[in-house]
Amino acid sequence: MELKLILAGIGGQGVVFATKVLSQAAMGRGERVMASENHGMSQRGGSVMSHVKIGGSEAPLIRRGTADALVAFDRVEAMRSLPFVRAGGSVYVNSVNGLDPAVMARLTELGIGVFSVEADACARELGAPAVTNLVVLGFAAAHSGLGLSVDDLKNSPKRNHSYRQRGLRVRP
Amino acid sequence: MTQLLLGNDAIALGMVQSGCRVMTAYPGTPSSEILAGVVKFKKKLGREIYTEWSASEKVAFEVALAASWSGLRAATAMKQVGLNVAADPLFSAAYTGVVGGFVIVPCDDPGPMSSQTEQDSRLMALTAKVPVFDPSTPAEALAMTQAAFELSERHCLPVILRPTTRVCHAVQSVDVPTAPAAAPNGHNAGFKKDPQRWAATPVFRLKLHNELNAKLADIEAEFEASPLNYSVNQPSAISHQPLGIIASGVVFTTAQEALAELGAEAPILKIGTPFPLPRKRAMEFIAQFERVLVLEEPDACIELQIPDRTRVNGRLDGTVPNAGELSPEIVMSVLAEALDRAGLPVPPPPDDAALSAIVQSLKIAPRRPRLCPGCSHRSAMFTMKRTFGPNAIYPGDIGCYSLGTNLRAIDTFVDMGAAVTMATGFYQAGRITGDKRPIVALIGDSTFIHSGIVPLANAVHTGARFVLLVLDNHTTAMTGTQPTPANDYTAEGDIATKISIPDIVRACGVKFVAVADPYDQEPFKALLEEAQAFTRAPEGGLAVIIADRPCVLYDDSPIEANPIPVVVTEDCDGCRYCVEAFECPALVLRADKSRVDIDYRICVECGQCIDACYKGFIVPQMSVVSTQ
Ligand code: SF4
Ligand code: SF4
Repeated sequence: MELKLILAGIGGQGVVFATKVLSQAAMGRGERVMASENHGMSQRGGSVMSHVKIGGSEAPLIRRGTADALVAFDRVEAMRSLPFVRAGGSVYVNSVNGLDPAVMARLTELGIGVFSVEADACARELGAPAVTNLVVLGFAAAHSGLGLSVDDLKNSPKRNHSYRQRGLRVRP
Repeated sequence: MTQLLLGNDAIALGMVQSGCRVMTAYPGTPSSEILAGVVKFKKKLGREIYTEWSASEKVAFEVALAASWSGLRAATAMKQVGLNVAADPLFSAAYTGVVGGFVIVPCDDPGPMSSQTEQDSRLMALTAKVPVFDPSTPAEALAMTQAAFELSERHCLPVILRPTTRVCHAVQSVDVPTAPAAAPNGHNAGFKKDPQRWAATPVFRLKLHNELNAKLADIEAEFEASPLNYSVNQPSAISHQPLGIIASGVVFTTAQEALAELGAEAPILKIGTPFPLPRKRAMEFIAQFERVLVLEEPDACIELQIPDRTRVNGRLDGTVPNAGELSPEIVMSVLAEALDRAGLPVPPPPDDAALSAIVQSLKIAPRRPRLCPGCSHRSAMFTMKRTFGPNAIYPGDIGCYSLGTNLRAIDTFVDMGAAVTMATGFYQAGRITGDKRPIVALIGDSTFIHSGIVPLANAVHTGARFVLLVLDNHTTAMTGTQPTPANDYTAEGDIATKISIPDIVRACGVKFVAVADPYDQEPFKALLEEAQAFTRAPEGGLAVIIADRPCVLYDDSPIEANPIPVVVTEDCDGCRYCVEAFECPALVLRADKSRVDIDYRICVECGQCIDACYKGFIVPQMSVVSTQ
């Protein structure tokens, strides 16, 4: 089965790290993976997006309107990345109040489901505010949006790596 | 074994497995992870490889070249504009040739995403007359690295492996071949004198040029049969068909996917060796079709070499956009149009704009990259702006501090080292035009060592007067904190001799040299004023201030030792001065614009914003507690 996923967030939120967790988990299931990361200038607090293709083609980028799911660690970045999602796809977003009402009607028309999770609060409760990215990823997996289970994610060899970046310390 | 590999790691692994013995690089996006990868894999595979973060790309190139002339396999990596810096040895080494396999990896950046140009290193290879490989994926980059060493050694010629950003920074599950127990070692004979080659004067250079032409003819013949060039969707019988495609690099995979989506089976000739182009093979392919579309990045290298382009469309005739990345959207529309023109009916491409219009109407502001919270460059540039105002001329350079354009603290950047030369030119031009504005040039530590020293000697010698601010944050920050010659450790963490930037500046003949911490904003301001006065004094001259404070991503221990938590008081009226003039990402204007808050999730407690509110509404937390 081919799955095209977009991960979106802000520099410092660990988009690249989440991409690795996801890719390793998919590989653990014996899938072929092709993902495209964002480096350089984009890491100084700019928008960061990565494209992940599981069991699909070797082309690194996903064309607009063809992603099966969008996993967003930030509400504004979710809005910005919406054009990538295909009709019938899903959006998993870290948000306390879903997406902007202005887009909801069109999303419903296109059969795109929006699932939001208050990941910042969850992560704070866990005592690890920096794991927001993993909370959203786990949430999407639990909704079967990634073609992978939460256990697959847990088995990803990347999960134990340090997410803490010096100088971008996240404090409660 | 299947491994998840970053494109740059795949290249690194290819180098280590191929028995590369010397690997040098100067960091630059998208190439920076290659050398780190070599360090990682050499340890894993227990290989002996000398690695070096060189002071510049030219240095990196020549150090590796000498290793090749000593019979060892050697490689060097850089970003595409770095190859401009190393162009001099590249052109020369093409004539002299090499002994041990020598592979040059300049990484191109279509877009451009983090470079000053979108230049095509394959065209540089064509001009220098050096063969080039063009991988489409990390897996292919791994295989091509090995092929490049072999080709180089067989023909005694440097070889370029040219990936683009989307290969360097793609992550792919790659079936990695087991490393040979003992890697091939080049000729391993040590340097053998041959003055007519290694020290060839112009008379001998003509002979070497003819030799080079002969090598290229042989290589082209070899490429005609190379498995790195192959066709897909090829019809079994040769027949005249409406449309064929020639593609290389990442666009090959993008085009394959787009064709599959369109349900069109147009044959593709995939070119893995764009120079020298296997012209016979290309013309045989073209002969089968009414029209042929060439897809390549970032410029036209294959297309340019096609002997007869009557039936060929591509970048040169405007069929394919001649600037910017060939994104999946662009490739889809170019292909759909080409198929349509060729009379091959395709269903309208799936609608990719269903949501774009509505999202566009929301006018979401782009989130521009900014200096990190606590970045010492911000403090230096903020104080500089407070001292010299908006009228001074601020020539800048390449590094994180290029983001100082946000603070209007950078007026120009051209290339590595140009801060010093442009300041020199502005000074001389100002003498002619009577322009008396202060000139304050900014350059980082790594960039200063890369390309600032010679310009500084030149400026002192010619009597130019300006203030040069060396922003020394102890590392090459932008590309991921690689060491410079001013650090005391090597690429592998071993002890290295540290060179002193103030000593270099003094040795260039500068009479005003000061080192100061830009975090101490008031003394720093006084020093800037003193430096400016020196540039105007009769006995004065050029003044250099070294702003000495580590990058927070590299070393936050000075902040940890002395954290200064801050608060914005109730008096804040949302005038946005601090947000615009200081631009710390942790200073956030409230959605209703009524006031500024501190985002404590990312604030590093550097306390540097206290002076950024000239009304005094940003204060240390302690003082609030004590007044309550
Ligand atoms: S990486 Fe270092 S130098 Fe670059 S913006 Fe961040 S703190 Fe400043
Ligand atoms: S103390 Fe001020 S300048 Fe420093 S990180 Fe926090 S908000 Fe930014």
